[in-house]
Amino acid sequence: MKKDNNSDKITRKEAIQKMGKYAALTAVGTFVILNPLKAQSSSPPDAGGDPFD
Amino acid sequence: MFGDHWILWYTISNSYSIIEPEFKLLLDSYLESNSTIDFSATISDSIDVSNDLTYSISETLFNYLKDCNRPYSPPIIPLIPLDKSYRNISKQYNFEGKTIQIYYNSELVLKTVHPALAYCCIKSSDVALATFDIYLKDEDLYLFKNECLISRVSKHDYHLIQGKFIMQLLCTLHDKQESDWIGTFHGSTITDGNSSILFIGESGKGKSTLCALLAANGFDLLADDVSPLLSKDKHIYYNPLAISIKKGAFNVLEPIVSDFDSLPLVKFNKTKGDLKYIPCEKPKNNHYPCHAIILVNYKPKAGTSLEKVSVKTILETIIPESWLSPNPKHAKQFLDWLTDIDMYQLTYSNTKSVTIEISKLFKQLNKKL
Repeated sequence: MKKDNNSDKITRKEAIQKMGKYAALTAVGTFVILNPLKAQSSSPPDAGGDPFD
Repeated sequence: MFGDHWILWYTISNSYSIIEPEFKLLLDSYLESNSTIDFSATISDSIDVSNDLTYSISETLFNYLKDCNRPYSPPIIPLIPLDKSYRNISKQYNFEGKTIQIYYNSELVLKTVHPALAYCCIKSSDVALATFDIYLKDEDLYLFKNECLISRVSKHDYHLIQGKFIMQLLCTLHDKQESDWIGTFHGSTITDGNSSILFIGESGKGKSTLCALLAANGFDLLADDVSPLLSKDKHIYYNPLAISIKKGAFNVLEPIVSDFDSLPLVKFNKTKGDLKYIPCEKPKNNHYPCHAIILVNYKPKAGTSLEKVSVKTILETIIPESWLSPNPKHAKQFLDWLTDIDMYQLTYSNTKSVTIEISKLFKQLNKKL
């Protein structure tokens, strides 16, 4: 198991080497985090469109 | 992995993250490191970067993981008894022999739900399958089902009462529990009788108008605005609410939808102005598999084009506006479901050519069935 982990690590290290400096620096800014709604909803009101105002 | 992207789901936060393979590589390396020093050493050994940049990469990954692991806290529903003195307006609705009773306390509150169901409104002495109470008390809107509080929100969040009501109505009509659903998508679904297509997009981009057009041209509306996905079969289920159409689309639909002029005008709010609700014939089945998601973009005078888009584009639109169950089983099912979905972006203005385009797509999708 340990051997597998080590070989994974080496492969990963090689992949980072291959990726290079600029790709690595660009890559860290590319993630997206998306949060679903916590409760069911219909279409939210448009700005200024609240009938309860 | 979807095409060029990895999608990760975080149990603690119920967040979905879309990352590129390069980011995944750095993240895996970070997670397997014993410390930030260990990670920095791996990076420095692999690529020629300064200590500051290595530290910056490490810090970004740390903050990313922190953001992805913010605990999810479901809304807390207090134990509040039903106040029957608010039962000022009584309406019954019939859905293929199933009667639902709803009590409202005012005409204003009635507008939250009734206009989209008005076509099912009947006078009935039948025993209701479920009884709902919706009322405004002080500054809050309350929704009860069979005398149990389902939701209490600020009156300005009335769309959450609508959403919760729809969920409970779907549970009643389809004999399900809330925990049976993978999620409810903010989008409209059309079926050709074999499978279905989910149309998504920002408000005002023409989803509902397009679905009304398609429903008038041989297709059936399965769900408008809220499209529910069931865990058991991963099908989208029938939502009986009528299609809500804004005044801006009246001229497009008048010549196509029969009796459009005779539909009542509903004044809901200042921005949306007058609305009309188009009831549609129910599809033959209660549910259909969905094999495509289309991001809709109505552009005046534009030609019709249907192009493949990335999972990133689709998820960036759909996830923040949809409710997705935090149950790990459902999250996995949602991701599995996505792997079978074709994803497109549709730009249109011409009603005839868009109908032809959607017909072609249905034929193509049905070949897979």
